[in-house]
Amino acid sequence: MRHQRREFLKLMGVGGAFTLLPLDIARAASTPAIEDRAVYISASAGNADDYYVSAFNASGKILFEQALPGRGHDIGLRPNHVDVAAVERRPGLYGLILDRHTGEVRAKLHCPEDRRFYGHAIYSNDGRFLYITENDFDHARGVVSVWDAKDGYRRVAEFDSYGTGPHELHLMPGGEQLVIANGGLHTHPDFDGRTPLNIDSMEPNLSIIDRRTGELIHQTALKHDWHQLSIRHLDVSANGTIAAGFQYQGEINDQVPLVGVWQPGKEIRPIEAPDNVQYRMRQYCGSVRFDASGQVFGISCPRGGLVTFWDAKTNDFLTHIAAPDGCGLAATDRPGEFVGTSGLGNGWRMDAIRRKRVELPDASHKSLHWDNHLRRIST
Amino acid sequence: MPQKSFWRITLLSVTTVLVTGFGAPPAHADIPERKYSAVLSHLLNTVMPPKLDEFHDAASELTKSIKDFCADPDADDLKDVQNEFNSAMDIWQEIQPWRMGPLVANGRDQHIEYWPDKHGTAARQFRKLLFSKPASYTDPAQLAEASAALQGFPALEEVLFDDKNADHLSKGDEDGVFLCQYGSAIATNLQTITGELLDEWPEFAEAMSTAGPDSIDYPTAKFAATDLYRALHEGLLIISAQKLGRPLGENEQDAKASRGESEVAKRSLRNIVHNLTGLFAIYDGKWGGVGTEGAGMASLIDNSLLDRSFRLNWQTVIDAANNLPPSIDELLAQPDGYAKLSEFKSQIDFLITLVENDIGGTTQLGGGFNALDGD
Repeated sequence: MRHQRREFLKLMGVGGAFTLLPLDIARAASTPAIEDRAVYISASAGNADDYYVSAFNASGKILFEQALPGRGHDIGLRPNHVDVAAVERRPGLYGLILDRHTGEVRAKLHCPEDRRFYGHAIYSNDGRFLYITENDFDHARGVVSVWDAKDGYRRVAEFDSYGTGPHELHLMPGGEQLVIANGGLHTHPDFDGRTPLNIDSMEPNLSIIDRRTGELIHQTALKHDWHQLSIRHLDVSANGTIAAGFQYQGEINDQVPLVGVWQPGKEIRPIEAPDNVQYRMRQYCGSVRFDASGQVFGISCPRGGLVTFWDAKTNDFLTHIAAPDGCGLAATDRPGEFVGTSGLGNGWRMDAIRRKRVELPDASHKSLHWDNHLRRIST
Repeated sequence: MPQKSFWRITLLSVTTVLVTGFGAPPAHADIPERKYSAVLSHLLNTVMPPKLDEFHDAASELTKSIKDFCADPDADDLKDVQNEFNSAMDIWQEIQPWRMGPLVANGRDQHIEYWPDKHGTAARQFRKLLFSKPASYTDPAQLAEASAALQGFPALEEVLFDDKNADHLSKGDEDGVFLCQYGSAIATNLQTITGELLDEWPEFAEAMSTAGPDSIDYPTAKFAATDLYRALHEGLLIISAQKLGRPLGENEQDAKASRGESEVAKRSLRNIVHNLTGLFAIYDGKWGGVGTEGAGMASLIDNSLLDRSFRLNWQTVIDAANNLPPSIDELLAQPDGYAKLSEFKSQIDFLITLVENDIGGTTQLGGGFNALDGD
């Protein structure tokens, strides 16, 4: 295995990443460019504890900044609608529904007193319901709340997330099931709401529930030796493959996988990059995103300042691109291409297939610290 | 005055000077890229290569020594081999915290020293090995493909320093012959690995010190220099949490020297002294007779008071380390050994605080918005 990695790296150095890619991915990369008219939207911060939801165009030109009462995290996009949902990062109390074109506030969500928002939200495909991960902190229990967008965003139900510390969630293909990354970490507002209280006993998992009934459909977890790998972020491809990024709560020099691929019904499969890349991932993945083709997924590692790219078919590591403090990732409409954002203010277009990184040309986006997650709104 | 109180007062006084001297942290202008490039070039092109040479030479001497010994085993000669082991381990422990580039590629650092070994894998595999004595483990090339736990310093330490094994070696009996051949293979493999390190380092050093927008791996010199800051920071964290924290355990009753590093050779604290030498070189730019004082990360600090206080605090910790015996086992055997070990850990923890608060901030290498506080 080590030998294979060594050979792979030698090839990377000599021939570049492109020569190593499977033929079908390489072929897809030759698709003619389509002008990117999309809008990119993300939580952001200024230099004085000021927080926003901000949008920029494909050139990096800021389109709007909407001030937030506290630091945001991810943005949920309502299909075929102007609404986007910005939920405060954990332990969050507010959620704002904004107009995707202007940032104007259209509705406010208030977290119940005995719950805290955990930063991620997703809409049902018909746009009717909004699902938010929350912490039932008195019972160390993760929940998914359900809000009816057609009824003034009334909180209408709450499901068990089947784990502790739920974080990112997504719809599965078909739109009837939700997959939830239960990070395993118990936190409590009495202890600042962010400090992990159960590192020795944490049990992260990935759970799939029926979005209408809350019934548990599938669940997977890593082997017990790796129970300190908090499963926090994920994305789902059109064929139902789930890619997940982990954050390790153990020692900085423990050798643990940081990425997993799950086909529901089977066991989660942990995968690793070559040693010198794996090491630079610094035990921490920040964001996961499939490309437009579903054949490549990117995982950002802000502590290591790089984005790793993986072949979704073979689960092999493809390549990595340096991205200082880079975390936000959104797939463009081109196979293998992503837009990435950084806490240092950078925005890049990254080509995982040709191993290229280009700064977005308009400098206006550099005035902000871009937060963990980036979404693309196609026009 | 008890050592603990004296030490705390010394550190507090320095901290007080820092606090009163600086007040609120001033807004810093960006440090120019050329300054980061100069640090990278100095540390990676000038300072490290001679140390890798030294490491390779030490591994070669160790190989020669063990082969000489095996030709005519003798208890006195075993001491010579053990001395060569210690020399090679000393320089490795100085290099070990520079966890970057070729040092971590292909699991090389673990092949040199499989540690930490939380589950006792090396000891378990070693026992099995002695039972079956497979010939493949006496061939350096085949050994290089074997479990990392059986091919580096910890395995050689078992061969040379475990009392029972040392006895077999000196007698030259059946176990001794196997141990000799296996030990020679480990040393030869270490010689090979250190040679690879020497070969691969220049390309890595060049990539780091020529960082810039055209580089897909290191788009800025500042970004490349964060690897140096991390090595300094994480090196101290590892000393605190693993090299000291694990043997200390939850309390005095739970303390266990054998959880320390290199405790078969009784040199767990000696390792830390050498770690601190290698780590300080990152800051200072001078490492023994190599390099230039002040040309390391210190050159990014435009504040002589902060620089002086950091050096003073570091020296205080070095002095404390030099006053300790070479092994935790020996220290814990002293009536106040546990307290001394705990105090030493708190000194390291204080250095970590300084690195995080002062060095990371002033050099602007301490991490960005997402890296420092992600979710």
